[in-house]
Amino acid sequence: MKVLKITPERCTGCLRCEIACSYMQVGAFQPAKSVIRVSPFEGHTSYAPYTCTQCAEGWCMTACPVGAITINAAGAKDVLDDRCVGCKLCTIACPYGTVFYDPSTRKAFKCNLCGGDPACAHACPTAAIEYEDVPTADWLHDFARERASHVLATNGGGR
Amino acid sequence: MARRHLIIGGGTAGMNAMRTIREEEREPSEITLVSAEKPYSRMVLPYYLDRSIAESHVFTASAALLAQWKVKAHLGRRVTALDVKTNVCTLDDGTKVEYDDCLIATGSAPVRAPVPGADGRNVHSFWTLDECRGVIASIAPGSHVVMVGAGFISFTILNSILALGAKLTIVEVAPRILPRMVDAAGAEVVESWLEAHGVAIRTDVKVTKIEDAKGKKRLKFAAGADLVCDVVIMATGIKTNLDWLKGAGVQIDRGVVVDDHLRSNVPNVYAAGDVAEGRDLVSGQPALHAIEPTAQEHGRVVGANMAGKDVAYKGSLIVNIVEVCHLDAASFGAWDDAKAEAVSGLKRDRAAYRKLLFSGDRLTGAIIIGRSGDVWTTNDVGMLKGLVQTGVSLGRFKDHLKAHPFDVKTAYIASGTTGALLPETVLGRPSKAPGETPVAV
Repeated sequence: MKVLKITPERCTGCLRCEIACSYMQVGAFQPAKSVIRVSPFEGHTSYAPYTCTQCAEGWCMTACPVGAITINAAGAKDVLDDRCVGCKLCTIACPYGTVFYDPSTRKAFKCNLCGGDPACAHACPTAAIEYEDVPTADWLHDFARERASHVLATNGGGR
Repeated sequence: MARRHLIIGGGTAGMNAMRTIREEEREPSEITLVSAEKPYSRMVLPYYLDRSIAESHVFTASAALLAQWKVKAHLGRRVTALDVKTNVCTLDDGTKVEYDDCLIATGSAPVRAPVPGADGRNVHSFWTLDECRGVIASIAPGSHVVMVGAGFISFTILNSILALGAKLTIVEVAPRILPRMVDAAGAEVVESWLEAHGVAIRTDVKVTKIEDAKGKKRLKFAAGADLVCDVVIMATGIKTNLDWLKGAGVQIDRGVVVDDHLRSNVPNVYAAGDVAEGRDLVSGQPALHAIEPTAQEHGRVVGANMAGKDVAYKGSLIVNIVEVCHLDAASFGAWDDAKAEAVSGLKRDRAAYRKLLFSGDRLTGAIIIGRSGDVWTTNDVGMLKGLVQTGVSLGRFKDHLKAHPFDVKTAYIASGTTGALLPETVLGRPSKAPGETPVAV
């Protein structure tokens, strides 16, 4: 299965992925509606995008009481809007924090890999986000551990 | 001869068990379902209550689906006796069903406060679909509804009652609301929010009597003024549906005591969901978790084991989330462990509250309250669940969380929580999508 491969060292924090994602997901250039989220590190001097891993368990999918989350042709867990009642069980079941709820539509929403042609990967100017047939992984761990440690140290919070 | 599975209860646990049997089995088996009600999802009843979905949307087992799964269904029937020596169960119409293995998933029933008038006209419970229909029929725009009990069930239907145009008062015997879901500081945030949104709340009051008063209802209390209203909803707790099983030889403590395969002391009798007293993920101790995610996971584990797999269950994690007037409140794991090392943060102006509980450098419980429009809140709800579920070693990021309880994401990512989660599945294989269940032929 093709997955979103993240190379955080390449991310410049430009937010083009969020803009492209929200446009694909809800038709608006509105990062708050994006399902890929760029996080700052080291006092906003480095950044990394974070999104759904399309995990094997599919905690959101198995939790849904009305079968409103399915697997689409790209292999992504996808919310069926006409089935979703907005009970939020998926948002609390997902241990990755990548299922969201839109109060205006009263539906859950999440990354569906744009059905197999993810806009974020297209929009990324530095190939920090690529769509490739590789095993999914914890792309951000090492990057974040190193940078977050630096912040802890400068804040005097680290040991 | 094909193996004969008997599923007692058509709720979340029973439905997931049947589906998983069909997913996992190599040879066709017989499945018999006995369910007192036509299966539906209790989780979505609040959305039927406010008519944002049609009644048809609540059902989880159409005749077509049961036929596709080759399930012989006894709907509207209850089991009255289980003979675990001869492997025969008896239904309330006298029918006898033989089985090779059996799942007890009979769920819970609502309990009303034992006061005079609790069973009177226009006093409702909200638990079953029938009760939901009763509440729908009784509420009109402008009705004054009093909910007795400020717990999870009340709060799941709070938005719906307001959406129907009713005026709402909540009365609670405990000194605060949501006593089994959030701590006192969190309850205060939710209570202020609700009062600002026009919901009247009276805590620390004991209902002593409910009487008829010229077409209305009057509630009397041990102390304080009477309340007059149109409709009373009693959400004063639930109890397991296990009376029918007493004396059958299946060990019952608070629920049916089960091992890590969800087996009772009778090896071919399983239990799942509200009635199963199984392992709590965080404490490792036996616990009764009457929540939807536990019923779902229990049901799938039992289904796999009934189909001949060997699936051990790690334990169930307490998770609760409720949204009231666009405020989210959620709690996880050992959120009420008074002895645990804890840190909390409150941003009163944003109605945002966090409490994090630790054992060593692992997160064992959490409470999160915040406006549901805040992306920040929904992000952290899932991440807190992941941190408690994995119990990853936070190392120095524990200090970070203690200093910055609202900055969960940094600690989550930098602790490698994603990497700890990726290999994790409940059944030891990727989950299948709903509707993707093959039937062995």
